[in-house]
Amino acid sequence: MSGSQGEDGVGGWVAAFSGSTVRYRRRLAVDGVTLKVSRGQVYALLGRNGAGKSSLVRCLLGQQRLTAGRALLFGEDAWASRPRAMARVGVVPEESDLPPDLDADTLVAWCQRVYPRWDDARVRQRLRRTGVPPRTPVNRLSRGQRTQLALTLALGHGPELLILDDPTLGLDAVARREVWDTLIGELADRGTTVFLATHDLAGVAGVADRVGILVEGRLALDEEVDALRARLRRRAAPAGAPWQALAPMGILSCQEALGGVEVVVERFDDALLAAVGGGPLEVQALTLEETFVAVTTGQAGGGAP
Amino acid sequence: MALRVQIDPTDPAPIWRQIEEQVRQLVGAGVVAPAAPLPSVRDLARALRVNPATVAKAYQRLCEQGVLEVRRGEGTFVAAHVPRQDEARRRELLAGAARRYVAAAAGVGASQEEAVTSVRAAWADGLAGERGEG
Repeated sequence: MSGSQGEDGVGGWVAAFSGSTVRYRRRLAVDGVTLKVSRGQVYALLGRNGAGKSSLVRCLLGQQRLTAGRALLFGEDAWASRPRAMARVGVVPEESDLPPDLDADTLVAWCQRVYPRWDDARVRQRLRRTGVPPRTPVNRLSRGQRTQLALTLALGHGPELLILDDPTLGLDAVARREVWDTLIGELADRGTTVFLATHDLAGVAGVADRVGILVEGRLALDEEVDALRARLRRRAAPAGAPWQALAPMGILSCQEALGGVEVVVERFDDALLAAVGGGPLEVQALTLEETFVAVTTGQAGGGAP
Repeated sequence: MALRVQIDPTDPAPIWRQIEEQVRQLVGAGVVAPAAPLPSVRDLARALRVNPATVAKAYQRLCEQGVLEVRRGEGTFVAAHVPRQDEARRRELLAGAARRYVAAAAGVGASQEEAVTSVRAAWADGLAGERGEG
């Protein structure tokens, strides 16, 4: 588990949900979610469409009121402290909220007046590097350029926490890569804490420290990436091998594969495997995508508090 | 500058450990020469598309082991004299690689004898290649 966790939200964690519930009329969008985002952490919130990711993000931004529970930003209620907290947060919403008829130059100049800690040189360098034209209105930029502009503006005032709602949605492979590139650069420079919702599992896999997976509004999994790799494993066994002996590790699935069976376990254990024996067989970790599929189809979980 | 490191998403080892092991192997095999510069944390993180903290952790551990050294303001370099690897660790690596090879050999239906012959041939080729390059 990750470092210290101060209860005041000052030293240990910067954002937290506690029993958070959001109900839209008759539909329960978020159902009792409890999670914490530690300082310096990259927390990736995953889930299928409609699982409640955007609702949770909007709660943290003070744009959505909770039906029950709490959403805390820097130790304060996210709804009540919104104006104060937003100076310390950078946001890229799912749908661009940039004024469509303004260009990058105008937006940068405007932000510079609003934020005392605006890093103009860095912002302009980033826009040049990512090829965002300075004089083209937002509504004539490509989707990739618009995302880069939004991300660059969100980082301009050196936020303590970056909140991204599916930043690579609708982007092609090159534009997606540029978004992760910018984010990795920011992490290298400032170690900013990041809370992001995403569908881009391949993109986020190496970047996230911790992942949460929402299934129909509930947090089905909340775990460090390293711990997930250590416990969710796939083992190929030859046909006729006694794979049932792996049962103490919690068998999630067992499928016939070419020349044998493929068993996925949820609590891998070296000692148990050694006790079972069985020769030089490959044991692999599940990729983030495979983990996501296993959790959302109801096979795995158990990492949530 | 590029560094021949590859992340395997199905390798159970954490990414920082994969980077640590591969850099150690590149240095140990002489692919990266003593005192040679390494890519910055930022550049390697971008190339591998991983969190810079992950690369920093691998570099830091290699520094502590004396494999790499940081020169302030200049970057990270391979140490001028790389210490010999811890003997237990060395055996563990060798045994792990052997297990993977045996699995591959068994996978193509090789006998033990055939597998061992193959290792001898590869060993001779590898040494010849190194001399040829050097």
